[in-house]
Amino acid sequence: MAKTGIALILALSVVVVPAGSALSEIKSGSEFLSPELRRQQADETRNPAFFWVEQGRELFSRRPAPDAQACIACHVDPQQKLRGAATRYPQVDAATGKLLNLEGRIEQCRVERQKQPAFGYESPELLSMTAYLASLSRGLPMQVKTDGAANPFFEAGRAFFERRQGQLNLSCQQCHDGLVGQKLRGDTISHGAGTGYPAYRLEWNDVGSLHRRLRACSLGVRATQFDYGSAEYLALELYLAGRAKGLPVETPGLRR
Amino acid sequence: MSFNARITMPAQAKAGEIVEIRVLTRHVMDRGGQSDGKGGTVPRKILNRLTATYAGEPIFRFDMHTGVSANPFVSFTTRAVATGDIVFEWREDGGATYTRTARLTVT
Repeated sequence: MAKTGIALILALSVVVVPAGSALSEIKSGSEFLSPELRRQQADETRNPAFFWVEQGRELFSRRPAPDAQACIACHVDPQQKLRGAATRYPQVDAATGKLLNLEGRIEQCRVERQKQPAFGYESPELLSMTAYLASLSRGLPMQVKTDGAANPFFEAGRAFFERRQGQLNLSCQQCHDGLVGQKLRGDTISHGAGTGYPAYRLEWNDVGSLHRRLRACSLGVRATQFDYGSAEYLALELYLAGRAKGLPVETPGLRR
Repeated sequence: MSFNARITMPAQAKAGEIVEIRVLTRHVMDRGGQSDGKGGTVPRKILNRLTATYAGEPIFRFDMHTGVSANPFVSFTTRAVATGDIVFEWREDGGATYTRTARLTVT
């Protein structure tokens, strides 16, 4: 009896954590959607997230205050000059040594250069700006730096991904590497690639950031929900972006 | 940015042709009923009706209730008869209305 028990545990651990997950097989979240939803994501006339992109484009070219410059005054011709910018985030800010994602970079620019109050994480304005800037890189492969100064953050993200946490004592890896393609409630477990975010989630009826999605994941395993823009989620975002290297940016995505 | 609309339809059509009109709307469609924190409840605030007129004639009406999701999408067809404006009007709870116009040129 005890022997069977041990064999069962061994078998389970093999299923749950496959040795050396093949990073080349990481698939985008949209691969797990129905064909109908995939078509809706690609269709600007039916994907509601494009309203946020449109709002972001407006904010980008409008002066935030009469005495402040619009983003477009420095970033001339964003369609060309900022194409591909989002594929390199999160990245380490050379001046401060901090890890910044796209949201963080926008806020930094707004506070330090435009001298305006920060939008605040998850505000409609910041979501719109992020969605707009990321949408400029639509179709381009993710190519974040995970070596050099970014390496400690990447490793911290990996450690977070592999660490069991919460009352359910699950690590991200157990589901998002080991059980990909299987069902969890009504949905299919994906690889956890964040290439569509900020995305319109049908569950939210709204556009939300990757950190909002990560908070939902943390809640799901009854673990600590970290703050928007927290160091833990930033490191995890970098690790997920590193895992998704080569996958095209899909922002604004549509997710269930 | 509480309301916005994206209307997709061909700019031109041949007389007698059937054209598809797609309307995607940005609206939170708040069905209300939540606590407002002061002992009361938040009133319902949804778009309750979308109407479309083509060259002055009503061609489409869509009554929406609380079961309709946020940012509703609807598509319908009409027959191109004459060059004219298609006027879309949304009616919101509380009496506000929003209007968008698209022109259809019939050749």
